[in-house]
Amino acid sequence: MVLEVRGLRKSFGGTVAVDDASFTVRRGSIFGFVGPNGAGKTTTLSIITGLLRPDAGQVVVGGTDVWREPTTAKRKLGVLPDRMRLFDRLTGAQMLYYAAVLHGLDRSAARSRIDDLAVALGLDGSLDRPVRDYSVGMVKKISLAAALIHSPSVLVLDEPFESVDPVSTAQAVDLLTRFAAAGGTVVLSSHNMDLVERVCDSVAVIVAGRVLAAGTLDEVRAGSSLEDRFVELAGGRVAVEGLEWLTTFSD
Amino acid sequence: MVDDVLRLKLALLGSAFRPGATLARTLAVVVLGLAVGAAIILLALEVDVRLAGHRAGLVIVASALAIALAVAPLSAGLGSALEPRRFASFPIPPRTLARGLGAAGAVGLPGLLAAVLGIGLELAWAGTPTAPAAIVAGVLGAAAVILVSQHLVAIGAQLAASPAARRLVTGVARAVIVLALAVAATTVIVVQSGAEDDTLQAIAATLAATPVGLVWAAPEGEPALLLVRLLGGAVMVGVLVVGWGWLVARLVEAPQRTRSSAPAHGLGWFDLVPATPAGVIAARSLLYWWRDARYRVVVLALPVVPALMMLAFGAAGAPLPPLWLVPLPVLALFLGWFVHNDAAYDHTALWLHVAAPVPGAADRWGRCVPPLLLGVPLVLALAPLFALWSGVEGVLPALVGVSIGLLLTGLGVSSVASAIGAYPAARPGAGPFDQPPMLGVRAGWAQAIALLATILFMAPALVVAIGGFAQPAWFAVAGVAGAATGLGMLLLGIVIGGRAFRRRAPELLDLVLRT
Repeated sequence: MVLEVRGLRKSFGGTVAVDDASFTVRRGSIFGFVGPNGAGKTTTLSIITGLLRPDAGQVVVGGTDVWREPTTAKRKLGVLPDRMRLFDRLTGAQMLYYAAVLHGLDRSAARSRIDDLAVALGLDGSLDRPVRDYSVGMVKKISLAAALIHSPSVLVLDEPFESVDPVSTAQAVDLLTRFAAAGGTVVLSSHNMDLVERVCDSVAVIVAGRVLAAGTLDEVRAGSSLEDRFVELAGGRVAVEGLEWLTTFSD
Repeated sequence: MVDDVLRLKLALLGSAFRPGATLARTLAVVVLGLAVGAAIILLALEVDVRLAGHRAGLVIVASALAIALAVAPLSAGLGSALEPRRFASFPIPPRTLARGLGAAGAVGLPGLLAAVLGIGLELAWAGTPTAPAAIVAGVLGAAAVILVSQHLVAIGAQLAASPAARRLVTGVARAVIVLALAVAATTVIVVQSGAEDDTLQAIAATLAATPVGLVWAAPEGEPALLLVRLLGGAVMVGVLVVGWGWLVARLVEAPQRTRSSAPAHGLGWFDLVPATPAGVIAARSLLYWWRDARYRVVVLALPVVPALMMLAFGAAGAPLPPLWLVPLPVLALFLGWFVHNDAAYDHTALWLHVAAPVPGAADRWGRCVPPLLLGVPLVLALAPLFALWSGVEGVLPALVGVSIGLLLTGLGVSSVASAIGAYPAARPGAGPFDQPPMLGVRAGWAQAIALLATILFMAPALVVAIGGFAQPAWFAVAGVAGAATGLGMLLLGIVIGGRAFRRRAPELLDLVLRT
């Protein structure tokens, strides 16, 4: 077990965002974290990566407690947070170099890895432009490159494929699969059930701050498709009523 | 052909007055231009060329204004500048084009002001035996200014192939204008005080020996010298005319601009700093000071605060010379104080520092580099000048030490404050005067405490420095004490601030997430 999450709890004011969340992730697996909007995915992932202090609970990455020994733990983690800025006046190359050096890489290693990642993620034409000129999908790609550049043992990616085009998604998925096959571990959150079903080998479903199911993909979907199982766990389909006007077309 | 270029120039001038976003700027420029023109005429009528000090002042002011006017066309940006390259695709003989563009250069605000400057010289010398020489000198001077500005526009347009280079050219031109106007204004004030005639004359003599001041100094010379200077001016204008023809011909024949292609993934300033966390944070910080409006406005406002303080003290009746000791320490204090909320300026991009194992002290050091690079050379360069003007014997060490001390102590205090007392700041990309929606009382407290703490830590050195006015030996002590306090406080601030930053990083991120 490379990542163990035990009894996480976090509330903002009166709202409980994460309520006693516990799960574990095996080394070498791609772990999908799914849940409806506002279920606490981002909050949980922020706590795991040391960006948000939990009210209670423990996160252990590769044997290091993230909140007791943050510096050691952060060496092992690669992070792509959702809805956070980059230093967007830097160019793509500067941004990656910045992330690399902050993680302790030297100049030549940083430079050669920037070139490798640019090719692998299809960024090489855009590295000399400021990040602020990038599209949302491009920002995701450069953030993924920044998360990968120090070759972490655990990657935590919050919505890594949102707004990313299919070609780049396929490229990135290939990259993550190779990363996991070589012994790396990926935790990613997504709304896209098909993608999670295709890419991940284990899954956790979080609804209203509680982890309702966690385990291998087959355990969680229990015979049906992940999407059906997810909708069932999230409270089932609500029968749509009172929208009759929607079917009386105006012309 | 000459008519066509002139008509084009007039149409361009007219278009600046069309209603729209640029109209306000146009009007502001016109008001500034009129003010400068009126000032030239008034000063020319006021100046008394029988006094050596006035004559020297005349040469200095005219030279400064000539420089400002020569670069003025560049300051408007090169977007619609009439420069030779634009006409390269038309079948116009280079010689005709050179004449047309030269004439067009005389039309417009800079050309008009150059003419006013020439007339000003004539007015100043009117009624003296050298009045006719002054007329010749004025004409030569105005012509030289217009021709030099044409050369500069053509060369500037050739160099400024990229938008960044274009901004740089415009920025440098504006800075030169502001500096030249400041020199002119300062000279007028010094001449009126009548205290520094020797210095003025030395500067004027130096200028008169260069092409810049040659013609403006011509009327004050003995007949022989006068003739030499006028001849020199005529030769200068001749060279400029011939050079202009040559330059136009060359640019029209080879209109391609050279733009060296950027090296693959150049890292800019990141190539110049060590590949350590502190190094890259410093480079990133410098980049933001350079490019981000929130920082730039402070850099621009820095000279204003001390100037206002001097004015206030002056209005309250304090004698002028010792007031020269005020600006530098005040400037240093505010520069050090300004970064007391620097972490919040990163907004959510701060996560990069939180998610990486960055030592807290490295974060703090990196953020201190831009104000240090800006402040220390400024203090070292200006202190001797201000100490001299203050007329206080032996004050230099105290001025340097106290200013450096205030800057470093301010940075030390800010290093701690930006970790423990952060408050919401304007977002990156926001206008310089935008304020975040929820500022709260916390902001006021943080600002006040950071400022007071800096002054408090520096109080011993300040008190000793004040004691120096009674007993000059104390000035040296104050200098050493100030510098030592600053160094100690900076190191202490970085260590304490670094620890606090590491400990409170998630809370800082939480703060910026909520704004």
